[in-house]
Amino acid sequence: MSEIYDIGYRHYDGPRLGRGYATRALAVHSLRGVFGLGRPARSKLTPFSLAAIMLLPAIVNVATMALIQQRVIQYSGYAVIMQAVVAIFLASQAPTLVAPDLRHRVLPLYLSRPVTIASYVGAKVAAMTVAVFALVAVPLTVMYLGELVVDMPGPPATGEFFGSVVMALALAFLLSAFGLALASFTPRRGLGVASVITVYLLSFASIPLVYGALESTGHDEAASWAWLLNPFWLVDSVQSWLFGTPPHSIEGGYPSGPASAVFLVALVGIGLGALMLRYRKAAAR
Amino acid sequence: MHILATEGLTKRFPTVTAIDQLTVTVGPGVTGLVGANGAGKSTLIKILLGLLPPTGGRADVLGLDATSRGAEIRRLVGYMPEHECLPPDVSATELVVHLARMSGLPRTAARERAADVLRHVGLAEERYRPVGGYSTGMKQRVKLAQALVHDPKLIFLDEPTNGLDPRGRDEMLTLVRRIGTEFGISVLVTSHLLGELERICDHVIVIDGGRLLRSSAIGEFTQATQAVTVEVDEGLDELAARLAAEGQAVSPQGRMLVVKVLGPETYDAVRDAAADLGLCLIRLEQNRHRIEDVFREEVRAHV
Repeated sequence: MSEIYDIGYRHYDGPRLGRGYATRALAVHSLRGVFGLGRPARSKLTPFSLAAIMLLPAIVNVATMALIQQRVIQYSGYAVIMQAVVAIFLASQAPTLVAPDLRHRVLPLYLSRPVTIASYVGAKVAAMTVAVFALVAVPLTVMYLGELVVDMPGPPATGEFFGSVVMALALAFLLSAFGLALASFTPRRGLGVASVITVYLLSFASIPLVYGALESTGHDEAASWAWLLNPFWLVDSVQSWLFGTPPHSIEGGYPSGPASAVFLVALVGIGLGALMLRYRKAAAR
Repeated sequence: MHILATEGLTKRFPTVTAIDQLTVTVGPGVTGLVGANGAGKSTLIKILLGLLPPTGGRADVLGLDATSRGAEIRRLVGYMPEHECLPPDVSATELVVHLARMSGLPRTAARERAADVLRHVGLAEERYRPVGGYSTGMKQRVKLAQALVHDPKLIFLDEPTNGLDPRGRDEMLTLVRRIGTEFGISVLVTSHLLGELERICDHVIVIDGGRLLRSSAIGEFTQATQAVTVEVDEGLDELAARLAAEGQAVSPQGRMLVVKVLGPETYDAVRDAAADLGLCLIRLEQNRHRIEDVFREEVRAHV
């Protein structure tokens, strides 16, 4: 005969780690959430199918390098070419990171612990940044490994590869700060998805309008600024300035000099600031 | 020795003063914080957690200043919010483990503590199911579990009996009492009903409009007033006449009779009168202080 004894309440006298530990744990927990790990299978469907789509061109590229010794896609242009997939990933996954806690008012449970608003927001941005970075950098790495294995004529484009990885991180940071800020303005997941995708489409669709209008009136120099309206071309413009890669804009070049880098930093700042304001307000509720 | 103390604590919002010159000390054990809705209970808890800066005065929790050392306070206390705060698509176990880690517990310790604490609050196999399918009572237990999981020195329970049926209310109150006694964790529990706190608190603080109405040990609240309520099936008037004739102070109150207790003989008089008249005695109950009485007395004192 076995019996269950009630041993009563036991106190905890083990270690109590600090805010850094809690923030890291929250970031890892959120990153798992972006990819639906530890969630039902249907939560994994969207992120993993988008990640697979992102990988396809890289695999095709490796195949063409092996068979006909030709590059179809350059490292530096990968993010620009695949921008729709990255944008859909951001739109579909950013709200899953921020909406539930806002909608179900879970925030007080975090803020009554060592977690502060800054560490909460920081953990969420870090998780989303790592996720978007992985989405872009994994195909780049597959392509690069493929290039090394295939042994193309001439030296491998190592410099361009590392440049594009660095820019993938910058792109991921910009998209995360902005995507999370947009998604956090509504506690409803569906509206969050819609608002992120709308802003992306606007940034995409406004370029031909602005570019066309300026170019047809003879302001070619000013027209090149139109590309900075879209985050992917903005980051490409910074890449072109930093690493001297050819512009992957559809037509014309980018404004020269560090202006686009300054613009990029400013946009990241605006995104993070908006996020902090949003959560300050949510916390006061 | 006190676990928390406020001194001239004031919190003004643009349109309303939530806490007004509140000076109060709380000792170990279970303390009730009673007040009507909007009396400032939740605001006070937020200030004590260091989440809301006071407009004036100071507050100390476990010897730490709430304004400047909120982060340290939040490591040592637990908080159960009044409103619903649980994401529906995770299980109670997952949620409580996660929040334990947010309190700084390493992963294995978080798992053990979560299992322990969920058992203590009375969640068995259902703790593996998503919280969305829980009853209100079960959700309240999860909220309580997350407040206890890091073994705090003090917990703030904001209206833990909110939305519960009478039985759930009883179970929750018993649990709160156990936390204060068996678990050895000091408790500050709010309610708008003094009656339900009477049973579980060592000390009660009553606030209204952000002001302190009264702070005293529970004994002083529950002291029997010098009156008994008598209810009989019928023949109330005869009984009243008979008791009055014997020199008792009687006043009818609806279908009941309130008899002033002059001494132990009053109870005998009621019993004998009912027996002699052959009445069916339904109730003989000592009148107790209710929150209304506290308010009434204080208002009278102020006038």
